[in-house]
Amino acid sequence: MKSIKYYGTSILTALFLVVTVISCDKDLTLTEQLGTLEPTSIDEDAETWASVNIDTYDVTQAKIYTAAETAVGPMPKVFDPATDIASVQNVGSASYQSELASIKDMQSKLTGEQKKAIEYWSGGGVLRWNQILRGLVARYNLPPAPKADGSYPAPDAENPFADPNFPFANPPYAARAYAYVTAAQYEALKAAWHYMYLYDRQSPYKNDSGVKSLMPETDLPSYPSYDAVMSGVTAEILKLLFPAALEEITRKAAEQRNAAIWSGRASTSDVAKGLALGKSVAALFTTRARGDRMGNSGGSKPQWQALADTAVSNGEIPWISLEAPKRPPMLPFFGLRKTGVSTGCKTWLMTDNDIVNNRPGPPPSTASEQMVEETKEVKYYTDNLTRERLAIVHKWADGVNTYTPPGHWNDIAAEYIRDSNFSEVRTARAFALLNMTLHDAGVACWDTKFFYFNPRPSQLNHAIKTGTGIPNFPAYTSGHSTFSGAAAEFLSYLFPEHSEYFNNQALEAAMSRLYGGIHYRSDSEVGLAHGKVIGGYAVAFASTDGAD
Amino acid sequence: MNKPLLIFFMAVVSSAAFAQTLTDGLMMKKGNLCTGFMYTHDQWKNYWEGTLERDNGNIGKITTQSLVWAGNYGITDKLNVIAMVPYMKINASQGTLHHMEGLQDLSVGVKYYVLRKEIGEDNVFGVFAAINFSTPLSDYSPDFYPLSLGTHTTNIAYRATVHYKYGNWFANASAAYTWRSNTTLDRPAYDDGQDFYETDEVKMPNVFDAFVSLGFHNGPVQVQAQLTQMNTLGGGDILRQSMPFVSNKMNFTKVGALVMYYVPMVKNLAVRGSVDFTVAGRNVGKSTTLLAGVLYTFQFAKSQPE
Repeated sequence: MKSIKYYGTSILTALFLVVTVISCDKDLTLTEQLGTLEPTSIDEDAETWASVNIDTYDVTQAKIYTAAETAVGPMPKVFDPATDIASVQNVGSASYQSELASIKDMQSKLTGEQKKAIEYWSGGGVLRWNQILRGLVARYNLPPAPKADGSYPAPDAENPFADPNFPFANPPYAARAYAYVTAAQYEALKAAWHYMYLYDRQSPYKNDSGVKSLMPETDLPSYPSYDAVMSGVTAEILKLLFPAALEEITRKAAEQRNAAIWSGRASTSDVAKGLALGKSVAALFTTRARGDRMGNSGGSKPQWQALADTAVSNGEIPWISLEAPKRPPMLPFFGLRKTGVSTGCKTWLMTDNDIVNNRPGPPPSTASEQMVEETKEVKYYTDNLTRERLAIVHKWADGVNTYTPPGHWNDIAAEYIRDSNFSEVRTARAFALLNMTLHDAGVACWDTKFFYFNPRPSQLNHAIKTGTGIPNFPAYTSGHSTFSGAAAEFLSYLFPEHSEYFNNQALEAAMSRLYGGIHYRSDSEVGLAHGKVIGGYAVAFASTDGAD
Repeated sequence: MNKPLLIFFMAVVSSAAFAQTLTDGLMMKKGNLCTGFMYTHDQWKNYWEGTLERDNGNIGKITTQSLVWAGNYGITDKLNVIAMVPYMKINASQGTLHHMEGLQDLSVGVKYYVLRKEIGEDNVFGVFAAINFSTPLSDYSPDFYPLSLGTHTTNIAYRATVHYKYGNWFANASAAYTWRSNTTLDRPAYDDGQDFYETDEVKMPNVFDAFVSLGFHNGPVQVQAQLTQMNTLGGGDILRQSMPFVSNKMNFTKVGALVMYYVPMVKNLAVRGSVDFTVAGRNVGKSTTLLAGVLYTFQFAKSQPE
C-alpha cells in the first residue's frame, strides 16, 4: 500500500508539472513589430523629389497637380490654391472650430478599440499597408483548381468571388501589385507634401491646446491629411487589384483616417481633402494599370504552342508543364518582348530596349554536355537533401499561398526601413523604388524564360524529386534569383552598411532553387547577375532623384 | 495435463499481458514488460480539401509507412509506463515531391488503474487515467504537408478510459484532450488559411479524440471492432488547390477491427493485426491503415496470483 501512495503522489506531482506547462500561453510574438514611427527628418522638400522619367511611367507631377486642381472627367477638383489658402489658414473660422470641438468630444470617450487603432497606425501608414498587402498577396496566391475535364478555369476580374478567386496573385501579378500600390503611395505622398506646405495649416492639437496629441508629433502641416491621402490612394489601387477583399480594404482605410482624427493629428476637413487627393492620384495609376498590357499576358493555346515550336525549331527540348493535368504556362506574355509575338507588360524604371538589351544569352543547349552535367548536379542535391538545405529551400520557397519572392524582399526591407525612422514619404520612396525594380525584374525574367522556353530538371530526369513544388513555367532564368539580385542591389544602395547581408540573402535564395531540385545552377547564377543589373536601374534613379 | 492443453491454459492466463496502448482497459502486471514492433501502412488517394473530397494528380497516392517500437512496463499492477518510438517514411506516387523519412516523436505515457469493481461473478468494471507526453525525436519539417512526418510539436494528452468486461466480452471507451505546443517553420511568414502572420511560429490548436471498441476473448484470440474520432479544436481549412498546413483543422472518423492472437507455441508471444478505414474527415486523407505487430512479454518479477 505504501508504494501505491508513493506513486499516487508522483502522479499528482507530474500532473502539477503538466498543468504548469499548459498554462504557458500560445500567443505568437510577431517578428515584424512596428513601434511608434518618429521620423528623424520630416523631409520638407519631398515635393521636389523627381518622378521616374521613362515614357511608360505615365504619371508626372504636372499630371497629379492638374488632376488635383482641375475637374477632369468624373473627378472633381480637390484644391483651388488661388482662392482657398486664406480661408484654410483661418483656424478661427466657425467651421474649423466646430471640427476641433468634435475631436475633443471624440477624444473624451475613446474606446479601447479606437485606442488600439491609433496605436496600430502609429507604426507608420506605409509600413502597415505593406504588411496588409503581403497578407493579401499570400491569401490570393492560389492557382485555379482543374475542372473535371482536366482544363483550368481562368480567374475573372468581373467575378472575383467565384472559384477560382480573382486574382491568382502569382509572382508576376504580385510584383505588379506591390509596384502599383507603392508607386501610387509615393506619388500621392509627394503631392500631399506639396499641398501641405502650400496651405500650411497645422494639426488640430497645435491649433487648440484642448486637443490631445495621441500620435507622435511632427512639424508637418496637416491640410491635406497625409494619412487620408494614403488611405485613399491605397484603397483605390487595392480595390482594383484585389476586388474580393473590398470589405477588409475599405475598413482598414477608414480606420487609418479615423485614427488620424481621433489622435488629434487631422481634422475632418484635412481628412476629406486628403482622401480626395489620394483618390485622384490613384485614378492616374488605375488608368495606367488598365492599359499596361497585363491583360494580354495569359495568351492563348496557339500562342503557347508557338513558343514550344520555336524551341523545337532551335533544336531544343521545349518546356512542358509537370503538373497533372498539364497546366498552361504562368503568364507567358507578361515579359516577352518579341516582334510580332508579344510586347509584354509595361515596366517602371527600364525601357523596352533596356529589357531586350539586358536579356541574358541562351541557356546551355538541352543537347549539350553541360546540360547533362548540370542535370546531374541537380540530381545530386535532391539525392542528398539534407535538413539544413531543406530549411533553405523552405525558407525561400515562397510558392502557393505565400507573399511570393517580391513579398519576401518587402518583408526583409521593412525592418531596415522601420529602423531607419524614415518619414512616411521617404518610406514610400524606398518601397516604391524597391517594388518598381522587382516588377521590372519579373518582366525581364519572364521575357527570358519565354524567349528560351527551356525545361525544368525534373522534365529531363524524372528521378529528380524536389524539395518544394515546381513552378509552372520554364526554368531559365530563375525568378527567385532575378528578383533577389535586383532587390539586394537596390537595398545595398539604400543601406550600404548591410550590403553584405542583402547579397548573402540573395545568393542563398538563388541557391535554394538548386538545392530544392527545381533549377539548374545556370538558372540561378545567370538570374542573380541579371537581377543585379536590373537593380542598378533603381540605384541610378535613386542617386539622382534629389532625395539622397 | 497434456502439453497442448497446458499451452492453451498458459495463453489464456497471460491473455491480459499484452496490453500496450493508452486507450485500452488492460494493465501489465508489476515487473512485466510487453514490448515489440508494429508496422503500419497507411495510404490515401482522396482527401478532404476543407469539406470537399477530391484527388490530386500532383501527388497521386500518399503512402505512410511506419515501424513503431512499443513498450509497456508494469511498475505496479495499477501503474504502467507506455512508450513508443516511430520511424516513418512518406511518399507520393505521382508528381515531383521528394519523400520524407525519419524518426518522428517519442511518446511516453503513464496509465493508472483508478478503479476496479467486480460485479457478480464474471463482470469487471474498470476506470483508467493516463497522461501521455510526446516530443519530436528529430528535426523533421512540419512545413511540407502532406509529406511531413508530423506537426513537430510537444504534446501532452490527458486521457480517461472506462472498460467493462462481461464474461468473454468487453466494451471500452476512451477520450483524451491533447495540448499541443506551437510549432516553428523554416520561413519568416505564413498564411494559415485564416490569417497572415509575420513570424515563423505557428499557433497550434489542441485536439480532442475519442476511441470506442467492442470485442471478445476466445482462447488465444482477441477480436474487437473499433471507432476513432479525432477533432482539432481550431485551425483553418486547406485553401482551394493549396497544400495542407500544419495547423489545419484536421478531423476524422475511422472505423476498423483488430485481431490479437496469442501464439500457442511460444509463451508470452502475441501477434496483432488491424485495419482502419477513414469514413469521414476534414483536411485529412481518406486513408486505409493496415497494422501488423509482434509483441513479447518479459516477466521480470515473479507473477503474482490475481
